[in-house]
Amino acid sequence: MNELPMLHNYLVVGAILFALGTVGFLARRNLIVMFLSAEMMLQGVSLNLVAFARYRSNLQGQAFTLFIITVAACEAGIALALILMLYRRRRSLDVTLWQELREPTVEPTFDEEPLPPPPVEEPLPRLTPAGLEPVHGQETSHV
Amino acid sequence: MRLPSILLQIPAPAPGRSLLLLLVPVALGLIAVYLLLPRPRGTRPLWGTLSAGMAILLAGWLLGRSGSGRVETVLFYTLSAIAILAGGLLITLRNPVRAALSFALVVLSTCGLFLLQAAPFLMAATIIIYAGAIVVTFLFVIMLAQQVGTSDADQRSREPFLSSLAGFVLLGAVLCMLHLTYSTERFDALLARARAAAEMPTLEEIRNMLGSGNDFFDALHREAQHAHIAPDKTKAFEDSLSALEENWNPPSWDADKMRSALRKLYEEGVAIRNSYGNLQPPRESSFLPPGIDNKKQPLELSTYSRLHSNQPSTQPLRDAQGRSVLPAENVAYLGRTLFSDYLLAVELGGTLLLVATVGAIAIAGRRPEGLR
Repeated sequence: MNELPMLHNYLVVGAILFALGTVGFLARRNLIVMFLSAEMMLQGVSLNLVAFARYRSNLQGQAFTLFIITVAACEAGIALALILMLYRRRRSLDVTLWQELREPTVEPTFDEEPLPPPPVEEPLPRLTPAGLEPVHGQETSHV
Repeated sequence: MRLPSILLQIPAPAPGRSLLLLLVPVALGLIAVYLLLPRPRGTRPLWGTLSAGMAILLAGWLLGRSGSGRVETVLFYTLSAIAILAGGLLITLRNPVRAALSFALVVLSTCGLFLLQAAPFLMAATIIIYAGAIVVTFLFVIMLAQQVGTSDADQRSREPFLSSLAGFVLLGAVLCMLHLTYSTERFDALLARARAAAEMPTLEEIRNMLGSGNDFFDALHREAQHAHIAPDKTKAFEDSLSALEENWNPPSWDADKMRSALRKLYEEGVAIRNSYGNLQPPRESSFLPPGIDNKKQPLELSTYSRLHSNQPSTQPLRDAQGRSVLPAENVAYLGRTLFSDYLLAVELGGTLLLVATVGAIAIAGRRPEGLR
């Protein structure tokens, strides 16, 4: 029986990370979480490439992964700048606020269910004043 | 009749039961993610967490049936369980700060998996760039774009059922393809038939067992093509298979000779089956450079992993005790590869980073309103 973890297992883990990233990118509406999901898809692909590098006993997969990291860094910089721009325009990170970018034949979507009311925060405890409040006034200095 | 080689790569469908068993954790994961995606009415955390736990346990059991208790195996399962759990948390948590932190956890456990696969430089680079720079920048942007209270962006999902269906149908398709490619079930069944036939007393019974036609041998030929990593073993197996096939129709061997040939075939087949998708290349691997005599001394994995990408290396570096210098001494070789084979790509990557820096500053810089 084989003793070491096989190529197959690493490919399965990479596929699961990729699929979870796909679901996150499609379902979430926060721009930042969508972007994190895309980065997680890249992690799954890198895992595949490194596994193949070891399976094939050469460094081509590792070199490729290094370029993926480079491109991901560029992508993160540009995307964060864009997200900041979009936030300044709409004061929100919700991606559905940019529905005017849709195709002309597609109907816009509306949210029917109201959001739950925000949780009521307990007021912070206030200390009862202790002692006498000193007289506020010009302090005389004797120099 | 031998099939053309492209057809040999595509396996015929395996027995359906294990394929269905493979789809159970995928369906459980779909249910879990669907139940846990944020929505304004509130999610069902109990059922979602239950099905997520069952999906992960079942997937681990399906993967780990052939595993053993070695350190590398235990580390692999721990790290991949952490990575998958943190990935699920990333897409289901409502607070984007927590999502960014669980993304950092995904990156860290993936780095552990990189280290298990003899990629120490990639581990360090990924930790520094992803977990160090990118996650911190994300957190910074989240703080800048602070949203007070509940918001549409975090409390709602876009089409939760359709998107989780899309993702998990993709996952199921990939897993089925991997299962069909790396499953040894059909090969095991064929080898078990060969083994059972080798126990039969007379030639008649052997021929009844394996069928008088050549179907059995054709199936074995197809299966043997999968073991790309061990061409020597495949060649030995093919040779004894061809010898057996030539004397099968019409039968020219007596029962004893047939039995010993089948036994030899079984042992060589088991050797091939054990090298299916194995990450450690066998001693007789053709990937070794011609200068190294692998019959003299056993070679560690470091010898394999430190190879240059497309040129054979010379003797492995060893310390005074004769051990390899590092468990996976391939950082220097990765650097040499990058600055010789991939020099143009490295230069292009540097240019891309520069352009991205300029672009990010140009996009995000605050300008006076009149200049927009």
